[in-house]
Amino acid sequence: MNHTLRLRNVTKIFEAENGQREALDAINLVVKLAEFLCIVGPSGCGKTTLLRMIAGLDYPTSGEIILDGKQVTGPSPDRGMVFQEFSLFPWKTVLKNVEFGLEILEVPEKGRRRIAEEYIELVGLQGFEHSYPYELSGGMKQRVAIARALATNPSLLLMDEPFGSVDAQTRNVLQEELLEIWARTKKTILFVTHSVDEAVYLGDRILVMSPRPGRIIECMRVTLPRPRKRTSREANELRERLLMLLGSEDRKIHKG
Amino acid sequence: MKLPAVLREKGIWVVPLLIALVLWEIVAAYVVRNPALLPRFSEVIFAFYLLRHDIVPDILVSLLHFTIGLTIAFALALPLGIGMGWFRTVFKAVDPIIEILRPIPPLAWIPLAIVWFHLTHYAAGFIIFLGAFFPILIGSYTGFRDVPKVLVETGKVLGCIGHRKMIRHVAFPYALPSVATSTRVGMGVGWMSLVAAEMFGVSTSGLGYRLFNEFYYWKQMDFVMAYMLLLGLISLFLDRVFRHVVEERFFRWKKGIVK
Repeated sequence: MNHTLRLRNVTKIFEAENGQREALDAINLVVKLAEFLCIVGPSGCGKTTLLRMIAGLDYPTSGEIILDGKQVTGPSPDRGMVFQEFSLFPWKTVLKNVEFGLEILEVPEKGRRRIAEEYIELVGLQGFEHSYPYELSGGMKQRVAIARALATNPSLLLMDEPFGSVDAQTRNVLQEELLEIWARTKKTILFVTHSVDEAVYLGDRILVMSPRPGRIIECMRVTLPRPRKRTSREANELRERLLMLLGSEDRKIHKG
Repeated sequence: MKLPAVLREKGIWVVPLLIALVLWEIVAAYVVRNPALLPRFSEVIFAFYLLRHDIVPDILVSLLHFTIGLTIAFALALPLGIGMGWFRTVFKAVDPIIEILRPIPPLAWIPLAIVWFHLTHYAAGFIIFLGAFFPILIGSYTGFRDVPKVLVETGKVLGCIGHRKMIRHVAFPYALPSVATSTRVGMGVGWMSLVAAEMFGVSTSGLGYRLFNEFYYWKQMDFVMAYMLLLGLISLFLDRVFRHVVEERFFRWKKGIVK
């Protein structure tokens, strides 16, 4: 089987106080194994909702989400998730945070320590195993969150604007590190962002969404060779196209 | 006058304390001049010596009352707090009862304590239970109610499926500092209720009983004040021990958040 994730006619309607609000409309999507898929769109386009439904934290109103041949019915450690907000358990050290998923799976202590140490090394945080989250910078916290999401060896890594709350410098470094991690672990990654730059630098494909109701307006294959140069002509052209797409959607909304 | 460096840094509290004690001594000896109204500090200290055979048994009895009340308060308030904090429906169902009972001063229960438990240690324990229960309950349910959504969802995606696992692995550790702080508050309120409970005849021994029903009855104000000091010092000691043992050892992770 060549694909891991398939979304078929996924629709989401939220019940609001003033009636129903259609968040996502008929999303169809196939994500290939080891693909890096970026999802961009203005706020309110339902990109986070889409990711949350794949994670099993929200449920589609209709349609189905199928991962490795099985329908998604709830959260499970076969899908790792990294949130935008800092989500480390503040009472646990870095090591214990990374071990958490394995602890729940009842992996014996020795085994889970070895695995956790491996992933801590992968995100470059050796030496911080016994630090508490309050002692870490924002970028380090997100590195730990990535290690923790990977530790249970999920087939899918879901990332919801994971670098949204770190400064621009750190953000670039984290993007490069993420690409390295991706190359080493061969995970399928779904990466939600509102940054066009980020999507162009990271993705194999970029899914562009329109708001209210969220629809896929374009699925763009990024053919830029890796390692990519942020300032190359091709990257700039791609950015411009994406910005135009998003901009025209924005104008539609504001006019009508 | 220059103070030694050590005294300035850490022992700064010694100076006002000494001044207060000297003032007390002077005012009592030269202004009030009536030990029935205000005994001198030195007389109160001497009272400790005179009472040396009663002090330890009285403390032990009071601590017994305190332990009974606090243990039962904790054992009931924590599970109820978990339920109310974690399950919205439990909160809605139980909260009105709590809000009606909570403002009743523990001392108003004394008549009931006497008819229910007679003059046993459990009667005093019951009053302390009432004092300690509500602070612990409220601190517990607040802790469990306020678990951030992102931590709950992180728990879910990492495999914490079901309330039991979620409470055990996510909510409980998150709420623990709140539970501990409220237990400290509950200990304080419980201690105050203890003295009053013993005073009002829910007991025939203990610090409060002796203070009110014997020393005050005999108008032995130096004895009364000696026991007052004792009550303050024991509470201070308990609080310090609790803080040292529980908060500093288990909540290192909170440091960055609280301070």
